[in-house]
Amino acid sequence: MFKFLGRKGNDKLEFGLFTIPVIICIAVAFYIPFFMTIRYSLMEWNGISSSPKFVGLENYKQIFMGDANFAQASWFTIKYTVLYIVLINVIAILLALLLNMKLKTTTWLRAAFFIPYILSLVIVGFIWKFIFMQGFESLGKSTGWGIFELSWLGDPKLAFISILLVSIWQSVGFYLVIYIAGLQSVPDDLKEAAVVDGAGPIRRFFNITLPLLAPSITISVFMALTNSIKVFDVILSLTAGGPGGTTYSVAYDIYRDTFQNNLFGYGTAKAIVLFVVVLVITIIQLTLFKRREVEA
Amino acid sequence: MKNRKTIGRIILEIVMFLASLLFLYPLFLAINNSFKSFGEVMRDVIALPEKLMLENYSYVWKFIDYPKLFTNNLVITVLGLAGIVFVSSIAAYKLARTKSRWSILIYMLCIMPMLIPFQSIMLSVVQLANQLNLSESTVGLGLLYWGFGAPLAVFIYHGFVKGIPKEIDESATIDGASGFRLYFSVIFPLLKSVTTTIVIIDVMWIWNDFLLPLLLVNGSPDTKTLTLAAYTFVGQYTSDWQYAMTAMVMAVLPSIVVFMFLQKYIVKGVVAGAVKG
Repeated sequence: MFKFLGRKGNDKLEFGLFTIPVIICIAVAFYIPFFMTIRYSLMEWNGISSSPKFVGLENYKQIFMGDANFAQASWFTIKYTVLYIVLINVIAILLALLLNMKLKTTTWLRAAFFIPYILSLVIVGFIWKFIFMQGFESLGKSTGWGIFELSWLGDPKLAFISILLVSIWQSVGFYLVIYIAGLQSVPDDLKEAAVVDGAGPIRRFFNITLPLLAPSITISVFMALTNSIKVFDVILSLTAGGPGGTTYSVAYDIYRDTFQNNLFGYGTAKAIVLFVVVLVITIIQLTLFKRREVEA
Repeated sequence: MKNRKTIGRIILEIVMFLASLLFLYPLFLAINNSFKSFGEVMRDVIALPEKLMLENYSYVWKFIDYPKLFTNNLVITVLGLAGIVFVSSIAAYKLARTKSRWSILIYMLCIMPMLIPFQSIMLSVVQLANQLNLSESTVGLGLLYWGFGAPLAVFIYHGFVKGIPKEIDESATIDGASGFRLYFSVIFPLLKSVTTTIVIIDVMWIWNDFLLPLLLVNGSPDTKTLTLAAYTFVGQYTSDWQYAMTAMVMAVLPSIVVFMFLQKYIVKGVVAGAVKG
């Protein structure tokens, strides 16, 4: 490119030209904000006053010692994450098995189950809020079923189930297509051999299909975990944390403290706690994943 | 025996088809009620509209300035996407081709942010965006996505470039191409399939993203996105369900139309993205 630099210098210049843009972009999006966050988390600051007060680890102490909101939000998030991971994977595998039976309507079915996934979660939340509040009333009247007369967003236990249900409804199509792709890579002759050997459908599923689905399961569990631990949008539009503040997730709790209560220092300390938890879980998962790959 | 099997299959077909209709019923109810008057929605949600209230659509269309929102979404998505693809693919190419400690270090720095949840840094992102004059503007929002989308894109591109034989670069160098010319005339076309994957997952993400626009738009009407406008609209019209549902339908309609035409590619792209990511 520039002859006077010589070959070595030219290579270096080109390396810089190709990589510096991405470094700047990522620094602005992640690294600078990340270090700002760590700094804020050691301060007491309402975002308006010009002189934030340095308080050291005081914010962190308070989070773990006496924050009922954070404890409740953590418990909500743990329950939600565990149930979401289990249910979405079980439902998606079952659906994938049915859709893999080469039905005439497979293309339609796959598209139908996938559609909610292309929609924004906030909007999905509102549509379901309408269904729960207005739709269920009409459905109750015309069917007479008691299930429609329950207060699906007004009762804390039911509100939790509603959030879970709506999240699963929105994303099941995504996991479904991953499992269908996984099932299609299970060789047919393996299944045929098992049929010849006299294995019934249930034994065939547990002894052949499921082990061969392991890579898809790993991906799906990983995606389900990273998405559900950060659950926010759907709660915002479906229950807005209600009833009585029982459906706040950790991410929503951080949002509430930073942007609604203006506790900039305290909110960012919580944000750092969330980051550390996500980091630890990811590292554990990656190590488990690596170990299993070696065995296979 | 054979007969029983076919009957079983037909029953399964019918059951699954009905299940899929039931699954989509909430969306149908949203569309159904967007064509009703307020009284009709209150009386019965399930019944079909007595007459199509197209006024709902013209009212919401004007009230939220739909063409403006649509343009905003388009500008943000296209700008964000173009930047992610350009910035990430050139970097991933160079990093995959260079064997040095620097190259490995930069690659790690590029992909590590995948571990940082957005909610952990959102306050600082807002502060920084304000200082850099990137907030309250569609262009600023689009530019920010370059950084947020880069880690995954670099990761996917890097893995793909490693599979392209180095001889291709070498023969192009002999032909006299180098630098960006070599990259854009020879390498970039070879990345087409993986670029498609990245475009699909990033369009779905940026088009529907809610939290970043919510935090950065700050109520400025010129910068609002479709999802954000639908959100604030419902906040103002808590009980006017007919308008709320109209706004919802108008917000999701572009996605559904695009999906109907590109269904096959979208599903394939999403699967490829998940498997590689």
